[in-house]
Formats: sequence, structure tokens, C-alpha cells
Amino acid sequence: MEKAALYHFDLTRYAWLRRLLTSRWPQFILRAITLAGFVLVILTGFIGSPVGSRNFAVMFVWIAWWSALKLIMLPFGGRAWCSICPIPMPGEWLQQGWLVKPGGKMFNLGLRWPRRLRNTWLQSAGFAAIGLFSALTLTTPVVTAWIFVGLIVVAVAVSVIFEQRSFCRYLCPMGGFIGLYATMAPLELRPQPGLTPVEKGAAAREWPRGCPWINNPAALKANANCGLCLECLRTESGANMALNVRSFDAELGQPGAFRLDEAFLSLGLLGSVMIYSAVFQGPWGALKNAALNAGSGAWWSFAAFFLLASFGLLPALLAGASALVRRTGNLAQPLQMVFTLFSRALLPLGLLSWIAFTVSFAFGKLAYLWPVLSDPFGWGWNLFGTASVEWQPYLLSATPVIETVLLVTGLIWSGRTILKTAEQLGVRGERRWAAAPVLLFALAGTLTMLWLLIG
Amino acid sequence: MTLPKFISILAKPILGLTLAVLALTAPLSLPPTQPVERYFRIEASQFAYSPGVLQVNPGDQVTIDLVATDVVHGIYIDNYELQASADPGQTARLTFTADQAGLFRFRCLVPCGQLHPFMLGKLQVGPNQLFLRAVLLSLAGLLLVLWKKPLSTISI
Amino acid sequence: MEKLAKILVVVLILLVAAVPLLGQQIIAQPETIELRARMPENGGWSQEFIYGLVNVPIKLRMTSDDVVHSFALAQSSLPSVEIFPGKFSETELVFDQPGEYTFYCTRWCGANHWRMRGTIVIEGPASSDQPTSVPPLFLQLGLDLDAPHFARVIPSNRPESARASERTNALPDGLTDGENIWSKSPEALWKDLKADEDLDDQSVWDMVAWGLNQQGSSGWMGQGRELYTQNCLACHSESGRGDGVMVRDLPPMNHDKMGSEATRPPDFSDPAVLLGASPALLEGKIIRGGMGTGMPYWGNIFTSEQIRSLVLYLYSFQMELEERP
Repeated sequence: MEKAALYHFDLTRYAWLRRLLTSRWPQFILRAITLAGFVLVILTGFIGSPVGSRNFAVMFVWIAWWSALKLIMLPFGGRAWCSICPIPMPGEWLQQGWLVKPGGKMFNLGLRWPRRLRNTWLQSAGFAAIGLFSALTLTTPVVTAWIFVGLIVVAVAVSVIFEQRSFCRYLCPMGGFIGLYATMAPLELRPQPGLTPVEKGAAAREWPRGCPWINNPAALKANANCGLCLECLRTESGANMALNVRSFDAELGQPGAFRLDEAFLSLGLLGSVMIYSAVFQGPWGALKNAALNAGSGAWWSFAAFFLLASFGLLPALLAGASALVRRTGNLAQPLQMVFTLFSRALLPLGLLSWIAFTVSFAFGKLAYLWPVLSDPFGWGWNLFGTASVEWQPYLLSATPVIETVLLVTGLIWSGRTILKTAEQLGVRGERRWAAAPVLLFALAGTLTMLWLLIG
Repeated sequence: MTLPKFISILAKPILGLTLAVLALTAPLSLPPTQPVERYFRIEASQFAYSPGVLQVNPGDQVTIDLVATDVVHGIYIDNYELQASADPGQTARLTFTADQAGLFRFRCLVPCGQLHPFMLGKLQVGPNQLFLRAVLLSLAGLLLVLWKKPLSTISI
Repeated sequence: MEKLAKILVVVLILLVAAVPLLGQQIIAQPETIELRARMPENGGWSQEFIYGLVNVPIKLRMTSDDVVHSFALAQSSLPSVEIFPGKFSETELVFDQPGEYTFYCTRWCGANHWRMRGTIVIEGPASSDQPTSVPPLFLQLGLDLDAPHFARVIPSNRPESARASERTNALPDGLTDGENIWSKSPEALWKDLKADEDLDDQSVWDMVAWGLNQQGSSGWMGQGRELYTQNCLACHSESGRGDGVMVRDLPPMNHDKMGSEATRPPDFSDPAVLLGASPALLEGKIIRGGMGTGMPYWGNIFTSEQIRSLVLYLYSFQMELEERP
């Protein structure tokens, strides 16, 4: 264990908090509310105004929720959203026949997820697909509604055929994004330190259907696949589990394995945020129109560029940088290992780029929310008297400085992690300059984001 | 964890943050340039301004003629809070003195279709100081990382 | 417990589903017609025909699904009503005569903007005799609107009506005969006057300008300019050169290949174009449209007075004309 990363504080040491988390009701009520919100999004998307800025579906999902996810829930709570996400609810109910009280089994074949797909490739593909249609989705209520209906249908189908929350863990396109960056969240669900092997075994066996997210809670070491559903806290041996507040670097600061699919997701997300920034915050109208007109020739070029840049060019560049580090540093480890570990070290740059992009985007668009609250369907209502609030940007002077600080923080954090990784790989002392190619990659990424957002 | 230890952990990030914000925002007076008159004719179409990037110097007298070429468009310049709207073919004119330095976005103010909220351009008054400082800050940050003592003692 | 949870979920979902249903019930106004405006490519007006009865108010609740539009009633002095995306505008119309009335969009919403036209059909008894309509002059004269009409005699300086009016006592009678002026091109009028009067060329041109100027009703120039700006300029352009934003990528006009492809309109800054066209001819072109350029027809949109103001305004691209008090 690295020393600096040892800070943990068990929240469940407070009895009242443990009781609150152990009870299924608070979480259930939150999920029931988000489910109702989900239904409202689908309704407004289908029957509300086709004007995106006047429709609850577009504004609530892509301005309010999407911003809150990236600004608050993900950086501070990791998979906190997953714990109250309504998408798996209908499927879970069909699968198990209960909402709050664990019980039997309704419709479920209970198959295990195919071994070859137990990774994030499908999630990468889903997230890329959302990116390819983002200009259309972000502005068209009915497309947003169809995506939500599609998510529910797929989630229900997967719940009936496969075991537990296979959908969340292996398929949900947001799940890949959230899971990857949850590595840096200051919140974790973990076994209590110092459990005896007997206790660990008990925790693993206790839960009749096992962990809904198909983990062994007693062996939990990473945030990526823990959905914070809190079910392990609610077992007989739940006392063996703890919900910890930790330092942001607690998990990333430790050496950890990273698979090739996760490496590609990490770089794909970094590429995606650059392209999102260029499309939505850049002054290039042709690019915006190419992204919007799905199916046109320009859109195919955009799609090809998006995929090649995010999942081809960036990985190729980092692989090249990794090969240089490996050669100049005389490393014995295989290139794939060096490459994946450096991709992991770039996670902070990716997360903070997403946050900076959201800052540049959200405050300028926030004022579109007020009319929609009073008139969710865009039918001319005025429920709370805010229907005719005119658009205005907020925090105009502060946002560029905030974006810069966020991006530089991401660079420093990633830079530290890159150096640490290089040292762990064996690039030490005088030779630590060998890590320069990967540091330059991180610098180039930061400068690109700076140029796109404030340049 | 004791309070002093907590403070000592937070001290460095807060100090760094303060220094970074100071480095980014501290006013720096550049030698003034001779003000000139600048004329731009911007054509607005769904969902682009052409040209999309305008470059002037502080103090310049700026005239922007906005011409919409398909539907009604508008223009709103951030911070300057200037606005105008133009029907297709009818030139709308904005005249102002570029008295605020920096990079400002201008946006379409008249709903003009799907990507209307993202129809924007940039007005750069003088050098983009924030961006240049951000680049220097990034380099400084990276040097800071390199200058540190070894970070890890573990081998994998 | 489980039952309570299920009830909670069902109640919340029903509540959400009830919002639009109840809301629509409360908001709905049975007498109101909802009219949605969309770019012609996206369907234009949601209703091309609106039916009503004589002296029964028609309430319209209008909104746009895409860009800024505007609702106006043709041949009417009612101000147009702006329609913004996602916002609602309301207006009430009353017709005291049966018939078909044209409504149209007055804010340019793309190259096909002029296609946004619809009809209000009013049924019921006529309350008084309709004024019998006189066929426009171009039909009476049997003019060929598509024939080339280039003037060969061109003034060396811009004709000014003010210069001629300084010599009011010496102006010939032919210049006050409305039908004479409307049926002749400025060039033809100039030739007539030149034959009768012993004056230099420029003075005769000034008299032609004065004669045309006399044809305007009070406020004609403002009215003409406003109509031109709102309806013509997107193609004919601010300068009148015919290179407006909607057509500048089209090939220039060519009489030999007329009708084979959409072209730019003629260049009003070229004296040969306007000075060879009689007011009746221009009036006909505005009423009928076409000419192989893709120009829309305006006969059912403007009143004949509006069209006459517009025709005179066009001549101001070649002459200095004056607003009449």
C-alpha cells in the first residue's frame, strides 16, 4: 500500500446511518421517484413540443441530469447514480418479483453473461453510438424518448434472460462511463479491514442470489463494478461491509490491473469529450451540421472521424508513447501491460476534461431549464410562473477560469499517476525522464481541451 | 484523523488553487495598440456564423454586419451583452468599442432550429491571455510533478 | 410492505401520466384552433384550410416547431403575428363577408418560405354587394410578361422628379394621365415627351420621374419600401441587384433558356431592365409571379394599392422619387 492513499473513513460506523442504508425504503423511494421522472421523460419526449429547448425530456435529461451526473454524482459519489437508477427496476421486478422485500423468482432464465462479453467492449460501443448521434439526441425530444424506451426494453429483456444486473454491469452505455471514472470517487463499498477467511467466506455465501452486480463483496477491491446497490450491507453478515469515504486518489494511487477493453474505453472517452467540445462549444458550423444530419455523407465522415480518432488515433499514439517508454526505460513488461497501465493513469485527465466540458456547457444552458419546469410539454403552461424566463448565460466570467483549473488539475493528477506507474514499472531515479512521452501525451491532451474550451 | 492533520492535507491543494487562480486572473497591462476601425460581415445560417472567429485589438471600433441567409438569426455577444437580430437578406448592424479584452463567445439569440443553442462563434479581443497563461500553467504543473521526489516504492 | 411499495410505484407513474391528460383538459379551449408553423420542408402550416362562418370569431393559437415564423392575413391591414418556436401566440379573426381568404408567413424561413400559404374558407350570407373586381391592367392590355423588355435609351444621369417639379407650370398634360403612364415604359414615355417637347434629354427624364411620382398615393414610398424589405429583398437583395441570399447561388437570368431552371431575378440596378418595363408590366409580374425564375405570385397576398406602391418603389432603384405628403 502506498502511504498517501490510506485515508479511509467508515460512514457505517454511525449506527443511524447504517440503519438508514440497511433499510431498503429510502433507496426504493428515490428509485420510485426517478422511475416516475423517467416515465415523464418518455411522455414529454413523445407527446410534448418538438422544440428541444422547450421540452422537459431534452432539458431534464441532457442539461439537468447529464450535468449533475458529471459535476456532482460521478466525481463525488462514483456509481451513486447507479444505486438510484430506475432503468433496471422493471426488469428486476420481472426477474425476482419484488420491489423492497427480497423474495422468489418470477421470469428469469438466470443465464450467465457470455464469457467473451464480460468486459466493457459493448459499453464502449454503446457510448460511442450515443456520441455519433449526440447532436440529434441532445436536441430532439422524440429521439431522447426512443433511446429511453430502448434502454428499458433491452434492460427488461436482459433481466429475463440473464442473471441479476447483467445489463447494468455489461451493457448499459452509461455504466461503462460511470464505472471507469468511479475509480476516482471518494466513496467506496468495501469489506471491513481485517476480516478472517471464515468471515469472508460467509459474506460471499450469505446472499441467496449473490451480489446483484455479480461481485464477491468480501473480495471487493475496485469501484468499477460495484453499483452501490447496498444489498451486501443488508445481509446477515452485512456488518462485515463498510461504506467508506476515502481520498480521491485512494484507488488510482494503488497499482491495479487494467484490461485492454478498459484501456480503449479510457481513451475512447477522452477522444469523445474532445469531439463533444468541438461540436457543441466550437465555432465550426459545418461540423455541427455534419453531426446533426445523421445518415448524410457529411455525417458518415464525422462518424468515421469520431471512431477513428477516439478508438484508433489516441490508442495508437499512446501505444507509440508506451513503446518509447518501454524501450528507453529498458522495461521487461509486455507492451500491452505498459499501454493499459498508462491508459489507466490517464483517467483523471479524462474525468476532469468531462467536468470542464460540462462546466463550459451547463452554465450557458442552465437558463433553458426554468421555462421547461413550468411547461414540461411545451404546450403553453405556466405551472410555477417561470415559463417566460428569458435565456441568459450564468457565470460567464468565471467559467473559463474554472475550466482551466479543472483541466490543469487533471493534468497534474494524471502526470503524477503516470510517473508513479512508470516507477512501478521500473523507470526510476535518473531514468524517470523515460516517462516523458506519456507525459507529453497527457500535456497534448490537456492543451487540446484548453484550446477547444477557452482557446 | 485529527483536525490539524486534516488542515495540513488540505493546505497544499488550497495554496495551489489560490496560486493558479491568481496566475490566471492577475491583471497584466499590455502596451496599448493603436485603435483602428474593424468591419466584419458575418453571414449566419443554420447553424453557423461565417466567419466564426473575429480578432480585434482592445480599443478598436468594431462594426459587425449580420446577414442571415436562410431563416431569422440573431447575435448575442457574451459579457458585452450586445444583441441584434436579422431577417434573411436584411443587414443588421452592431457597432461598439472593444473595451473588454479576452475571448468571448457570441451566440444566436433567435431560435433557429435544432442546434440553435449551440450556434456560436468567438470574438477575441487582444491576445487570448487566459489561454496563454493556461498553457504556461500546464507546463508549470507538469514540471512540478517531475520535480517531486519518487512517488512509489512498489514494483509491479 | 411489498404491497405498499407496488402501490407507491403505480400511484407515482399514474400521477405522472395524469399530468398531461388533466393539464390538457384544464388548458384546452374548445373554440380555439391550434395552428403549428413549420418550415415548408417540414410541412409548412399544420392546417392549409381553416373553416369559419361569417361574423363568427376564429380564435387561433399558434406556435412554431422550428424557427421564427409570422402569421398574416393577405390583402388586410391587420398587423402580422410573430410565431416563436415553443411559444404560443394567439389572435382572433372576424370576417363579415363569405369567401376565401389567404393567410401567409411574413418572416423568411428558408428558400421555400413563400410556400407557407393557407386558406381561410368563410361560409354564410353576404351582407352587402361585393365590389366587382376590375381585371388588372396587364390583362386588359394583353401584355406578354415573359418577353424581354430592355430599354435602349438610357439617361446619362439619374432622373430626379424634384428637378422637374421646379418647372411645374411647363409640365405637359400627358404626364397626369394615369393610364398613359401605367401602360407605357419610362423609355416609351420619354420618347413620346421628347417628340412633343423641345427640351434636353435629361430634363425629359426628370419629367418622366415626376410623372411616375405623381402616381403614388400618400405614404407610397414607406409602404413600398416595407413591402420590398419584407417580401422581396431576400431574393432581389437590398441593392436590387437580384443577388439576394436566397438566390445568389443560382445562375443569372437568361431569356433564351427561360423556364428550364430557376435563375436569379433581373438586376434592378441595370437601367435597361426597369426603364424598359411599364408599371402595368411590373404589376403583372408581381401579381402572377413566374418568369422562369421561381418568383412566387403575390396577387392574392397584396392589395392592388400595395402592389402599385411596390411598383413605384422599384423605379426608385433608377430614379430619385419623393414621398408624397
